[in-house]
Amino acid sequence: MSTMIEYIPDWSTWGMAGIALLVPILGHLLYQKVYHFIGTGTHLHDAAPTTPSEPSSEAGNTFSGNYDKDLCYIQDKLGANSDVCFREFTLHQLGVRGTLLYVDGMQNDRLLQLKIMTFLMYEATAEKLASPSTDEAGLPFLQLQEASNLDGFNHAILFGHFGLLIEGMPIGLLIEQPDARNRPILEPLSEALLRGPRVGFTEILSENTSMLRRQGMSDQLEITSYRVGTRMQRDLVLAYMKDLVNPDLLKEVQTRIERMDMDFFAESGYVEQLIEDNYLSPFQQVQNTERPDRVINALMEGRVAILLDGTPFALIVPATFSMLLQSPEDYYERWLPSSLLRIMRFGAAFLALMAPALYISFISFHPGLIPTELAISIIETRQGVPFPSLIEVLILEVAIEILREAGIRLPKPIGPAMGIVGGLIIGDAAVQAGIVSPFLVIVVAVTAISSFSIPTYSAGITLRMLRFIGMVFAAVLGIFGTILFFLLLCSHLSKLKSFGVPYLTPITPFRMRDWKDLFFRAPLSLMKRRPAMMKTQQNKRKS
Amino acid sequence: MARCIRMLLLSCLMTLLLTSCWSSQEIENLALYSGLALDVGEPAPIEKEFEAKGATYPKQNKVMATVQIVPVKTIGTNSQKQQDQKKPYINISGSGDSILEIFRQFSIRLDQPIIGHHLKVIVVSAELLKQQPIGNVMDFLLRDNDIRPSTMVFVSQGSAKATMESNIASEVPSFHIMGMLRNRSRTSKVLKPVTLSRLDSLIYSERSFMLQNLVTGGEEVELSGAGIIKGSSGKWIGTLNQTDTQCLAWIRNEGTAGTIKVNEGNNNVITYELEDMKSKVTPKVDGDDISFHVELSTEGRIIEVWNDQAPSSSHLNEEEVSQLIKKQLKDMTEESIRKLQKKYQTDVAGFGNRLAIKYPSVWRKVKDRWDEVFSDSEVTFSYELQITDFGSFIED
Amino acid sequence: MFTRTDDKITTSQAVVFLTNTVLGAGILTMPRSITKAMQTPDAWIAILLGGLLIMPVILIMVKLCQQFPGQTIFQFSGRIIGHIPAKLVCLLLIFYFLVIGGFEIRVLAEVTLFFLLESTPMWAIVLPFIWAGTYLVSGGINAIARVYQVVFPITIFVLLLSYGVSLRLFDINHLRPVLGEGFLPIFAGLKSSILIYAGCEVVLTIVAFMQHPGQAVKAMLGGIAIPFGLYLLTAIVVIGGLSIDTVITSTWPTLDLIRSFEVTGFFVERLEFPLMVIWLMQMFCNFCSFFYQASLGISQLFKLSIQPVIFALVPVIFLSAMAAKSIQDIFAVGDAIGMMSIGLFLLVTVPLLLIWLLRKKGDQIHG
Repeated sequence: MSTMIEYIPDWSTWGMAGIALLVPILGHLLYQKVYHFIGTGTHLHDAAPTTPSEPSSEAGNTFSGNYDKDLCYIQDKLGANSDVCFREFTLHQLGVRGTLLYVDGMQNDRLLQLKIMTFLMYEATAEKLASPSTDEAGLPFLQLQEASNLDGFNHAILFGHFGLLIEGMPIGLLIEQPDARNRPILEPLSEALLRGPRVGFTEILSENTSMLRRQGMSDQLEITSYRVGTRMQRDLVLAYMKDLVNPDLLKEVQTRIERMDMDFFAESGYVEQLIEDNYLSPFQQVQNTERPDRVINALMEGRVAILLDGTPFALIVPATFSMLLQSPEDYYERWLPSSLLRIMRFGAAFLALMAPALYISFISFHPGLIPTELAISIIETRQGVPFPSLIEVLILEVAIEILREAGIRLPKPIGPAMGIVGGLIIGDAAVQAGIVSPFLVIVVAVTAISSFSIPTYSAGITLRMLRFIGMVFAAVLGIFGTILFFLLLCSHLSKLKSFGVPYLTPITPFRMRDWKDLFFRAPLSLMKRRPAMMKTQQNKRKS
Repeated sequence: MARCIRMLLLSCLMTLLLTSCWSSQEIENLALYSGLALDVGEPAPIEKEFEAKGATYPKQNKVMATVQIVPVKTIGTNSQKQQDQKKPYINISGSGDSILEIFRQFSIRLDQPIIGHHLKVIVVSAELLKQQPIGNVMDFLLRDNDIRPSTMVFVSQGSAKATMESNIASEVPSFHIMGMLRNRSRTSKVLKPVTLSRLDSLIYSERSFMLQNLVTGGEEVELSGAGIIKGSSGKWIGTLNQTDTQCLAWIRNEGTAGTIKVNEGNNNVITYELEDMKSKVTPKVDGDDISFHVELSTEGRIIEVWNDQAPSSSHLNEEEVSQLIKKQLKDMTEESIRKLQKKYQTDVAGFGNRLAIKYPSVWRKVKDRWDEVFSDSEVTFSYELQITDFGSFIED
Repeated sequence: MFTRTDDKITTSQAVVFLTNTVLGAGILTMPRSITKAMQTPDAWIAILLGGLLIMPVILIMVKLCQQFPGQTIFQFSGRIIGHIPAKLVCLLLIFYFLVIGGFEIRVLAEVTLFFLLESTPMWAIVLPFIWAGTYLVSGGINAIARVYQVVFPITIFVLLLSYGVSLRLFDINHLRPVLGEGFLPIFAGLKSSILIYAGCEVVLTIVAFMQHPGQAVKAMLGGIAIPFGLYLLTAIVVIGGLSIDTVITSTWPTLDLIRSFEVTGFFVERLEFPLMVIWLMQMFCNFCSFFYQASLGISQLFKLSIQPVIFALVPVIFLSAMAAKSIQDIFAVGDAIGMMSIGLFLLVTVPLLLIWLLRKKGDQIHG
C-alpha cells in the first residue's frame, strides 16, 4: 500500500493535469465560438434563396401605356445618371414618338446603332411593332425581350441593354445584349504553361461559357444559371457533365449556392469563401483556375465548375489536396517526365513547408543529427551571427515575403529587377553584415524557389503561412515540435472534407485506383476509369 | 468574471510558450569534440599551474582526458578570416578519476559547453590500459547519450595525447585518423575498426580482443599492429606487429587486400599482391581435445620482382613462385599463432566464435577458461594460392 | 450516397489501424527484452513462435465480435453476461487501455528526453503530445484511421531503409548458433515475445467499425501479420548487427544499431534522425488508438457523448504517464501491461466466447 502511495504524483503534477484538461476544453470552446461567430454571417443563416423573384406584381411599376407618363417615370428614376442617354425620335411610318435609352459605352457597335436608328425611324410599321417577338412580322433584331415592368426595364438598361419605348405600346422593348468593351483573350497570367492551350478566361461570363462549349462537342455539358447578390446582382453559372456528375454532389453544390447571402459578389473568391466546408482551415477547399482546359478536365472527372460574371477565375469543386499540386501540363506531356515533375513538386511542397523548421531544429536543438562536416561548416559560417536561429530565419523569411509581395505590385519591367536586387543584394549584404549565415540564405532561397514551383497560387500562400507556424513549433520543441506540427497538419487534413470528399483522398481513404494519378501520372492508356472518389455515374473513360 | 479567468489562463499559457525553448542552444555556441585521448593520470601542464594557485578539487589522478575541439572560434565573419590561420583545432586536457567530472571541469575553463555528438575517435594509451581495465575507462563513454556508438576506439603505444597533434596546418588529427581507416581497401594491416557498440559487447562478454594500435613519430601517426586486451582482466597485455595483424585479419576473414613479400637469396624480392583473401576455420572436437584447421585461400598477382641475375622474365616459374609464397605465408601465420598461444595466451583471432557456433555445448564448458584452452589446442593450416597474372608482363 | 455520414472504416484502414496500434514502443526495446530472457541469439525463433500463438488469439477475438455485427465489446458484453459483470469487465479493459496509453507516452518522453531534448521538462513533451492526440481523437475513428494511413507507408519505408542500410553491420555469425542451447531458452523468451503484441485487444472494437465485417478475419490477421513481420525483421537485423552481448546491455537496442554506423556522403549521414521521426509518429498513432479506445469505451458504457469523455480523459492519461518514477518503473509497467494483456484475454475474451457459445447452444436446445 505504501508503495502505491509513493507513486501518487505530487501536487505540481496534479496541477499540470488540470492544465492538461483545461487547454483542450478552452481550445474547443474558442473554436466553437469563432466558428459560430463567423458562421452567423453565412451558413447558419438559412436565408431565402437569393434570387429574389421580380417584383412583377406591384401595380405602380407596370407600364401604363401612357408614353409620357412612362418616360417621365424612367427619367425620374434614371435621369440623375449622366451616362444614361435618352435619344428621342419620331417613327416616320407611324408618326409616333419613341425613345431609345442606353448607357453610354455599353453598346459599341456603331454600324449596328446606325441600322437600328434607320430601321426605327424609317421602316418600322405598325404590324411589326404590334407583335414584336413573333416570327413572321417581328422586329429584325437578334436579341429582343419584352419588359412589362418598369423597374426591370430600368435595371436592364443600366446593365447595358438598349431600351426602346414607343408611344402607344404598353411594354418596353430590350434590344441587344450589353456589349461593353472587353479585353482580348490572353494567356492566363497565374497559371502559365509551356505546353497546352494558351487561352484563359476573361471577365465576361458569356465568353467564358462559350470557351467551355468550344472545348468540344457534347450535349452533356450542362450550364445552369443563377443570379447572386442581393443588392447588385450578378450572373453565376454551374457547369457540369450531366451524365457524369454525381447527382448528390450537384444537389449539394446547388443548395450551397442558393444559400449564399451577400449583397454583392465582387470576385469568385466571395463565392469560394461562402460555400467552403470549413472556413477556419488554412487549406482551400475549392480550387480556382483561369484555364478552361483545367475546368473541362475537372468536369470530365465528374466535378462541378462555378463561373461568376466579372472574373476570370472559375471555381472547381470538390477539391482535394493532390489537385493543388497537379498541373494540366502533367497530362499533355508524356507520362514519364510528367510523373517525375509531379513527384518533384510534392518534394518541393514539403521543402517549402518544412525547410526552415528543420533548419531551426537542427541548428538550435540537434547538432548531433547532422553530418559532422556539415556541422563544422555551419559553425564556421555562423560565427558572429548575433541572433538565435529563429530570429535569423524570421528576418530573412519576412524579407523574402515582403519582396514577393512587392514584386507583384511592381510594374512589369521593374519586377524582375526588384527580384534580383532583393534576392541577391540583400541576401549577400546580410551575410556580409553578419546578420544571417550563408547557409541560411541557401535554405531560404530553396524554400522560396520551392514554393514557386507549386502550380496553384492559393495553395502556395497556404504553405507560406503554415511555414511560419512550423517555425514556431520547431523553435519551442526542436524536431519533436516539427513532428508534432506535421502530425497536427495530418490530423487536420484528415478531418477536412470538401463537399463531402475527404481532402486527402486518394491517399486516405486509400483508393488504389486513384493512385495512378497521384504521385505518378500513369500512361493515358491505363487511365481507364474516372476517379473513384467522385463516385461518378459513368466510370469508364474508354469505350 | 469567467471571461477574466479565461484571459488570465490564456496569458499564462502564452508566457509559458514564450519562455520555453528549454533545450535550445545554438550550434555555434557549442564546442564539438571530434577526438578524445585517454592517458595515464598526470596533471596537464596548465593544470599544474592552476593547482599551484590552489584551483583544485578533491581527486586522484588516475586518467588524463584530452578532447579535441573543432572548429576554433573566430571573430568576425569568415570572409575576413585570416589567411595565416593557426591550427583548426584546440586540444584541452584535464586529469582526474572520473571522465565525466573531467568533462565538467572543462566547463569551468571553456566558454562553451562541450558536446560529444560528433566524437569520431577515441584513443586510449596502452599505459593506461595496463593500469586500468578497459571496462572502467570506457564506462562513461558507453553510457553517455551524446556519444554515438559508431565512435571508433584505438589504442596507442606511447602518449595518446600525442596522436591528437598534427604539424600539418588545416588538418584535424582525429579526422585524419578516421580517414586512414579508409585505406583498408589497400592493406589488411589495418584492422576492422572497433566501434563503441562492438566494444560494448566485447567487454560484456569478457572475450579477449585486439584494438588497432597507433604509433606516433614526428607528429605523424601510423596505424601499426594491434594492442591485445585480455578478456578476463580487461587490461592491455601486449602488441602484435604489422605482419601478425595481417595474418589475424586474414584468419578472421576480415582482410580484403595486402601484399606478401618473399625474400629469395640476398637481393631477390618477389612481391605478391593479394586480390582476394579468404579463410575458413574448422573446429574439431575429439573428446576433450579441441583443435582447429584453418584453410587460407587467396588469389593475386605477382606485381614486383627484383632480380640480380637476369632480366625479370628469366626463371620465374609459377609453381615455384607459389611454393615460395606459401612458405612465406606459412612462416608468417605460424609465427602469429605461436605468439598468441605461447606469448600472450589469448584468442583474438575468433577461434572461440567458430567453436561456439559449431559446438555450442563444448563451448559452454570451456567458455570461462577459453584463453587457456586455446593456448593448448592445436591449430593447423592449409594454403591455397592462385596466381592470376603477372601484372602487365607475360611470364612463362 | 456521395457524402458518407456513417463512421465506418474500410478494410485497408482496419488493417493499418491494428498494425499501428500494436507497433509501438516494442520496436525499440523488444530485441533487448527477449534476448535478456533468452541469453541466446535465437530471439527471432521466439518471435516466430509468439506470432504463431497470437494469430489464433486474434482469430478468437474476431469470431467473438462477428457474432454481434456493428457492436463493440462495450456494447455486446452486456448481452452475454449481464449488465453489472459486463461493466466490470469493460472497466478493466478501459483501465488497461489507459495504462498502456500512458505507458506509450512515457516511453516516448523518455526517448525524446534522452536523445533529443535533454534539458526540457517532461511535461513540456507529454502535454503537447496529448493535446495533439486529443485533436485527432475528437475527429472520430475515420480521422484516426486516415492519419494512420498517411503515417504507415512513411514508417514502413524509413524502417526498411534504415534496416537495409544497417546491413553493413550485419554478421550472420551473430545469429549463430541456432538453437545452440536447445529449446529451453525459447520458452523463456516466448513470454516477452507475446508481450510485444499488447494492445491487440483493439480488435474487440474495430471489427464493429468495419464497412465489410465479413473481411474482418482477413483484415485483422493481416493487421497483426505486419507488425509480426516487422518485429521479426527487427530482431534479426538488430541481433545480427550488434550481437547479443551489446543488445543485452543497451536500453534501446534498435536505436543503438542505427547509431552504430554513419553513412558518409549521404545527405542524412545519421539515420537515427529519420528513425526517430517515424518512431515518434508511430508512437502518436499508438497513443491515439488507446486514447480513442478508452474514451469510446466510457462513452458507450455510460451512454455519454464522446467529446466530453475525451476531454475528461486527458488528465487521466497525463497522470498515468507521469506516475512512473524511473526507467525501471516504466519497464516494470511494460511487463505488467503484457501480463494484463494475457490476463485480459484469458479473463475476458475466452469466457465471453464460451458463455456465448453455451447460451447459444442452450437456446438451440430450448428453441
